[in-house]
Amino acid sequence: MLIEMNNVFKTYLLGEVKVPALHAISLNIEDNEYVAIMGPSGSGKSTLMNILGCLDTPTTGTYYLARKDVGSLNDNQLSDIRNTRIGFVFQTFNLLPRSSALHNVELPLIYSGMPSFKRKQLAMDVLERVGLNDRMMHKSNELSGGERQRVAIARALINKPSLILADEPTGNLDSKTGEEIIEIMQRLYEQGNTIILVTHEEYIAKQTNRIIRLRDGIIESDEKV
Amino acid sequence: MIILENIRMALQSLRTNPLRSVLTLTGIAVGIGAVLYVVILGEITQQRINERLESLGSNVLLIRPAYSRMRGVRTAASVINLKWDEAKEIKTTSDVITATVPTYTGQGVAEFKDQNWSTSVTGTTPEYETVNNDHPIEGRFFSEDELDRRARVCLLGATVHEKLFGNLSPIDESILINSKRFTVIGLLGSKGESWHNPDNQVFIPLTTAQERLYGVDYLSSILAQMRSAEDYDESLFDIETILRRNHRLRSDEDNDFRVRRQDLYLSTVRETNLEIANFVIIIALVSLIVGGIGVANVMLVTVTERTREIGIRRAIGAKKFHILTQFLVEAVILGIIGGILGIAGCMGFNYFITGNGLNIPLDWVGYSFIICSGIGSIAGLYPAVQAANKNVIDALRYE
Repeated sequence: MLIEMNNVFKTYLLGEVKVPALHAISLNIEDNEYVAIMGPSGSGKSTLMNILGCLDTPTTGTYYLARKDVGSLNDNQLSDIRNTRIGFVFQTFNLLPRSSALHNVELPLIYSGMPSFKRKQLAMDVLERVGLNDRMMHKSNELSGGERQRVAIARALINKPSLILADEPTGNLDSKTGEEIIEIMQRLYEQGNTIILVTHEEYIAKQTNRIIRLRDGIIESDEKV
Repeated sequence: MIILENIRMALQSLRTNPLRSVLTLTGIAVGIGAVLYVVILGEITQQRINERLESLGSNVLLIRPAYSRMRGVRTAASVINLKWDEAKEIKTTSDVITATVPTYTGQGVAEFKDQNWSTSVTGTTPEYETVNNDHPIEGRFFSEDELDRRARVCLLGATVHEKLFGNLSPIDESILINSKRFTVIGLLGSKGESWHNPDNQVFIPLTTAQERLYGVDYLSSILAQMRSAEDYDESLFDIETILRRNHRLRSDEDNDFRVRRQDLYLSTVRETNLEIANFVIIIALVSLIVGGIGVANVMLVTVTERTREIGIRRAIGAKKFHILTQFLVEAVILGIIGGILGIAGCMGFNYFITGNGLNIPLDWVGYSFIICSGIGSIAGLYPAVQAANKNVIDALRYE
């Protein structure tokens, strides 16, 4: 079991007011699953993704990622997990705009302490896999939206993560480019990766093999496609 | 490893905003340049004073006229009470004083061809050369014979030489001093600057000064050389006895002259110099601190501007420590580059002033580096801590 969530609550404090974002979420995800998370805004999707991505920890309840109790980890250990086990793909790409595609992709390896020549080679390999071998020295603000998202996917893949988290990866792209990105996701899934994808589009969700619907911080439905 | 990456990233980020970086660097550069230059000036002055101290030795007394006081009331000016005969008498009477050098110093204008220069004119005796250890670097000092003959010969100090002759040799040239014709027989070496400029002087025989140039029969001062520095008390007693008797001072009257040890006088000058130098260094340090505040300010702005970058880096695995060092290194690099520019600027300025840019004490170049990186790290610490402690999720969403 890759992910085991048990009775997870997340409550934010807005001044004096407690705002519940997640309510008793229990969730198991196996290796090599392709999961779509859906739900209206305010349903707790982002909060769930943040916790799944170890950017945040549950208020109560337990979250085991690859048998590690994430709730008990300190900031450094969480950073390590994000660095080695999780690959993020964001709606807004979140690349360093003035750095080259290559530098963006090798960034996680800089923080894991890999020597320069090794990580350059790895980064070039991964960029080739997403079809960007001829644009890797371009700065990311010189790339198109689809190219940027492919750089982001390459960055997510570079550490051979256990889990790829994609937060509306097609949200800022036109539908044709969006489809290309979804194809890449599909291929990554077929190559054995575990992917969790947040989306508003039913047709994208239909291509995954499991859809979890959230509403008001509660899992409304969880069904195989 | 990470540090190398940090340096690379820092240089990249400094290039991103060149104008801002240059302005920030300038603050540090001006500050450290000022500090360094003041230090150099101070050291050079100290060095010259020390050289003079060494050349003077510790056994020369300077006797000058002074106002005499009677029951605390200053009596008539008595600047004309020192006489050549008294100098001779002190030398012959005292067992511990081996030589006396009478001098009369007046103002004069020296002219050579179309050049003229206002200078001090010092009349003295040939003993001046040995007692002051001040030998001509070219030509010779005047002789007893020339002194007796009231000869119109002179020796030039370094400044007068430069102003009148530039680089040419002045020996055997004929110059005018207060419109009277003199032959230059010697050139004295530079003694460096202290309060007044000892190089801005012309030396002529005392007889010539007193009788031909100024028409006076008194002296400005007498230098008395003691057998050794331990004879100070006895020397002082002898001088006081002779001068008080000659000046007919009553026992209730103060001395109408003052006796100073040359070395002590210069020590005072040295201490005062040091105090002034330290004070100016403090002022220069203030400008350096202002430069440091500039760095801190820019780093705070940078951290805010790059909130999202911080979020991205943290999301893909950067630890707080990585973010902290990244921004700290950036601030230190700002400091160090500013330091390099400041040192270079200081050398350039020094070259402009003295014609030699490289006579900067090396240890102070080292200190400058340490000070600049220190200022960089102090200025960068708070912004870097802020950067490291940003909430990852908020930072990722920052627009």
